[in-house]
Amino acid sequence: MRFKILLIIFFLNLNINLHANELVEESKIHKNLRCLVCQGQSIADSNSDFALTLKMVVKDLIDQGKAEEEIYSFLSDKYGDWILYKPKINQGNFLLWGLPYLALIIGGVIIVFLIRKSSKKA
Amino acid sequence: MLSNTGNFLLFINIFLSSLTIYSSLKCLKIKNNYIFKNIYQISLLQSTLVLICFFTLTAAFIVSDFSLITVYQNSHSLKPLFYKISGTWGNHEGSLLLWVIILTIFSFLFLILNKNHPKNYRLYTLIIQNLLILGFLLFIIFNSNPFSSIIPIPKEGLGLNPILQDPALAIHPPLLYIGFVGSSIYFSAAMASMISNYSGSLFAQSIKSWVLISWIFQTLGILVGSIWAYYELGWGGFWFWDPVENASLLPWFAMTALLHSLLVLEKRNTLYFWTIILCLMTFTLSVTGTFLVRSGILNSVHTFANDPSRGIYILIFLSLMIFASIYFLFSKYKPTNDLINSNSKETFVLINNWFMMFYLITVLLGTLYPIFTDAISNNKISVGPPFYNSVIIPVVIVFLIFMAIGPQAKWIKNKFSNLRSTLLILGGAIIINFAIVYFLKSYSLISNLILISSLFLIMSSIFDFFKKSRLSFPRIISHLSFGFLILFIGLNHNFSVEKDFNLKLGEAKKIDDYEFALLDLKLSQENNYKAVVGKLEVNNSNTMKRKILYPEIRIYDNPQTLTYEASIQTSFLGDHYLTMSNIDRSEYYNIKFQHKPLMIWIWISVLLLSFGGFLSLFKNAKNN
Repeated sequence: MRFKILLIIFFLNLNINLHANELVEESKIHKNLRCLVCQGQSIADSNSDFALTLKMVVKDLIDQGKAEEEIYSFLSDKYGDWILYKPKINQGNFLLWGLPYLALIIGGVIIVFLIRKSSKKA
Repeated sequence: MLSNTGNFLLFINIFLSSLTIYSSLKCLKIKNNYIFKNIYQISLLQSTLVLICFFTLTAAFIVSDFSLITVYQNSHSLKPLFYKISGTWGNHEGSLLLWVIILTIFSFLFLILNKNHPKNYRLYTLIIQNLLILGFLLFIIFNSNPFSSIIPIPKEGLGLNPILQDPALAIHPPLLYIGFVGSSIYFSAAMASMISNYSGSLFAQSIKSWVLISWIFQTLGILVGSIWAYYELGWGGFWFWDPVENASLLPWFAMTALLHSLLVLEKRNTLYFWTIILCLMTFTLSVTGTFLVRSGILNSVHTFANDPSRGIYILIFLSLMIFASIYFLFSKYKPTNDLINSNSKETFVLINNWFMMFYLITVLLGTLYPIFTDAISNNKISVGPPFYNSVIIPVVIVFLIFMAIGPQAKWIKNKFSNLRSTLLILGGAIIINFAIVYFLKSYSLISNLILISSLFLIMSSIFDFFKKSRLSFPRIISHLSFGFLILFIGLNHNFSVEKDFNLKLGEAKKIDDYEFALLDLKLSQENNYKAVVGKLEVNNSNTMKRKILYPEIRIYDNPQTLTYEASIQTSFLGDHYLTMSNIDRSEYYNIKFQHKPLMIWIWISVLLLSFGGFLSLFKNAKNN
């Protein structure tokens, strides 16, 4: 019974704000764009002419009603993938996105295997 | 003159290192458990001379002896004394000398502090450590000699990059190096352990303190670097998942995994080969990090000095290390009987290692992947914070829960009688999170889970604190503070306020709850820079609080550089953080304002985390 109550509270807790951010967040987009003329800064952190121009471009695109993903693909067509801090999930990057989880699964399998082996011996 | 002294000392050190290896090999041939007295003497002399060598360089910096290229390139006669001294290690050549100091002193200390361990094991450790020392000394002499002279002697130095002229950054490298380079001693010990067949819990005891020391310093080094980035880089962030930061984090993951697996090796005499792999991996990752940073392969905010020719040498050195490690692992590997019960402390330690390896692989992959895509397909990609956040954060949630449950398990076999209290604590964590959501603001699903799991860890640790004997205090403190760290990062992230706008002198602006006014601009002339100091008033209409902040735009003289100094007001509840920068061809200034709640608690948590390490070191020293 107590367990059920906990579960209910738990899900109540999670449901509160699942659909809050439907607005496109400008600052979030800025943080995902590399300032190409700086040393490893995003345009959100930079005041270079490049960053200022790009911020205006982003604002224009949002005003045109473009979604976040559309803005990214527009900019990466123009400047290359180097500009995106979050690499796209595509053929070229599947290892980057996949290997960590693969490693996680393999690690888990190894541990289970070790325990199984031990319990047979014991 | 100083140049000659330095060079002479470097050559003497090469000779002494070779002599140590030679005498150790000779001593190994004699079958008794007695190490030649002269080996101790040489080792002591070596440590002394390497220190003198370093002080020679420091002296050159203090008296501004510009006949040394290193001093000429990195110092200036008008620089404050403190930064002249810290300039010794604030550059590539000098920092390598610091490497060698730590390698040498650790080598000496390991020799004299492990007298109750067998002779062969100690001597092989000494030999391997001295091979590492030789490798670095040769690198210094042939490629990065801090004592190279320049003719004609320049009248004035080029100066140190102004953003490096900072107290935090003066102590950051030594701390980090003790962590990085300190891991060399258990690299050598692991190799020696395989060669001399000295395995098991005694081996674990012999390296435990060293692992703890390097872990503590690595943690503190990362902390200081992070604090520096927070106030000096001027973006209000404290961790950017930048390649150079990642390079310091990679060995940290390996060390943390090692700390835990050592416990199993010590108490239960299993996981020997895995522990060895972790020992070897830690130092290898340290050298890899150095290679990536110093060779200039990576594009980073922290890249201050790089040169491709160094990269090749470090790469060869690194390959030799990896090759030797793999060779010994394969030739010495014996299948062992690692008996592990599913519900025991051993399993939870393995789970810790499992997650640490996941973090390590993710960060390593994220750091190296752009290099590979660039080389293979000529397609440059960036891997930045959004990648790490989305891959790592969901996993952290599960990790924290294991971290809370794990310590309650017993060795060998555990009974799960504590399920009820665990559920109660989880319930408590959820209710607190609910309260935070209700009273403050709602946030995303992931943030909810992060907060719940960190609260769960915190409360479990506090619970433990009252239940357990004093012996587990170090662990409880470290786990507790890790829970706090994640909690404060989570809260900080969710409740940060960020405003970005332009203002001109005398103008005021209202944004949401805040009202900003640029009251005044002043020019000031300091010792080694000129500055434009702004006076900004920040009013919060919600809390009725009024703050005055003084951000600066600085123009340094030697070398001429423009920097933006953030104005930060810290309190226990949160930081007010403001930077001001000029906009070209305009009378407006760009203002970035942030309110970052609980910022100081993030630092305190990390400090506490390493304090747990200190306690553990203390406990370990008392027991042995």
